[in-house]
Amino acid sequence: MTEIDLWLVPLLMALLVGVLCPVTGTLLVTQRRVLQANLISHAVLPGVAVAVAFGLDPAIGGVLSGLLGSLLAERLQRGQSAGQEAVINTVLAGFLGLGVLLIPLLNLRLDLEGLLFGDLLIVDWSDLTRVLVAAAAMGLLLLTRYRQLVFLGVDPEGAQASGLPVRSLQLMQALVTSMVIVSAMAAVGVILVIGLLCAPVLPGLRRVGSLRAAMVQSACMGLAVSAIGFLLAVPLNLPPGPLIGVVCMALLCLPRLKFAM
Amino acid sequence: MGSAPLVAESLSAAFDNRVVLQDVSLTLQPGTLTALVGANGAGKSTLLHLLQGQLSPTGGQVLCDGVPVQMCRDQVVLMPQRGRIDWSFPITVREFVDLGSVRSRSYGCCDRDAALQRVGLTALAGRRLDALSGGQQQRALLARALVQPSRVLLLDEPCAAIDPPSRAQLLQLMRQLADAGQTLLVSSHDWGSALDQYDRVIVLDGRVLADGSPDQIRHRLGDQLDPGAHCHD
Repeated sequence: MTEIDLWLVPLLMALLVGVLCPVTGTLLVTQRRVLQANLISHAVLPGVAVAVAFGLDPAIGGVLSGLLGSLLAERLQRGQSAGQEAVINTVLAGFLGLGVLLIPLLNLRLDLEGLLFGDLLIVDWSDLTRVLVAAAAMGLLLLTRYRQLVFLGVDPEGAQASGLPVRSLQLMQALVTSMVIVSAMAAVGVILVIGLLCAPVLPGLRRVGSLRAAMVQSACMGLAVSAIGFLLAVPLNLPPGPLIGVVCMALLCLPRLKFAM
Repeated sequence: MGSAPLVAESLSAAFDNRVVLQDVSLTLQPGTLTALVGANGAGKSTLLHLLQGQLSPTGGQVLCDGVPVQMCRDQVVLMPQRGRIDWSFPITVREFVDLGSVRSRSYGCCDRDAALQRVGLTALAGRRLDALSGGQQQRALLARALVQPSRVLLLDEPCAAIDPPSRAQLLQLMRQLADAGQTLLVSSHDWGSALDQYDRVIVLDGRVLADGSPDQIRHRLGDQLDPGAHCHD
């Protein structure tokens, strides 16, 4: 790795993740599926562990595992009208626990802290490639299914009644969400990614007139959050991932502080 | 507009071993405005979903144009209850109405503009959905239903949670649609004195309790009809 790669790749990674996560998050927030995304982000761990144990790309294992966690929770939710959130959180804890247990059981040398919180400063071109693949998948989904996703968000029952393939749409979205989360894992980790998925979406959501505009504004906001987190991390000698998480929270708090003053 | 009615034959429905509908039969004639009244839990929404083909009955069948409704679902449009919609979703009225044609290939902006004009929302087309009043939101929902080239419109509680002038406006719109040949079935849990506005009233409570003209229903169930707000100001 050249000297330029040492800072250029992490910076590019921060900016790309800063755009891609909020775009994905806009879909999740407007469809009220953030909890499902949180579940996917935690459920990737067992898949990563198993993939590493078998010498496969951890991203493939992570995506499959995240999708499996989402499908399992959905299955267990049926007939649980009152306890759906409880089911999701239980499956989340189960997959996280399984992932942590598999590391010693499979005798793996995995940096658990890196998986949970990311380490932007050691990312390489392969990490960047994963983000680009996830971005391409998200772009394809939006290009081919944008109106259907809007319908699904504003009126899920109406979308079903209109004969839209709601189940396939939700599966496609869960798959792309898994890809985005796994690709962002190297930068911000599976725990902190939820901040980048949600926080940049919220400030302008009430002002925009379309899902497309909401995605553009949240992408700009995410880009700024990631750039600030990354640029602060270097002089402060702090890990960028957690710093981006803190900036995400500040993004929500600042307007309230201004209002209070 | 077409001439074939929507026919329900001995419909039954049950959820979790609880019978919701039992032996419900009805025929909707073209160009009629029919009220489907009954208390909460009487099975109105279930019946509408069965008639639209979204749910399958445990017994009986629904025929549209003489064929099972599942084969011609695009001919029967269901306007859902307002509680089913996420009104805070970032979307303009124009884009919301366009969703009614999400599966149509022959749809053009003229269809949307005509639907918006029909419900009187042309001037608000660029406004966000959550910036509208309750009555305007209901009219936007109706416009979304109207852009679909259907023969039967099923409206689930269109008059719930809106003010009396908006109700009157909505009822007037429905009357105009029926007069133009559209077949409408409108559900409400209110009984109201405005039943006269309808061509026909069906009273439901798990089964059909009464079916006839407003006068016939009033004569038959007079004592049970409380003054309400069934699309009435």
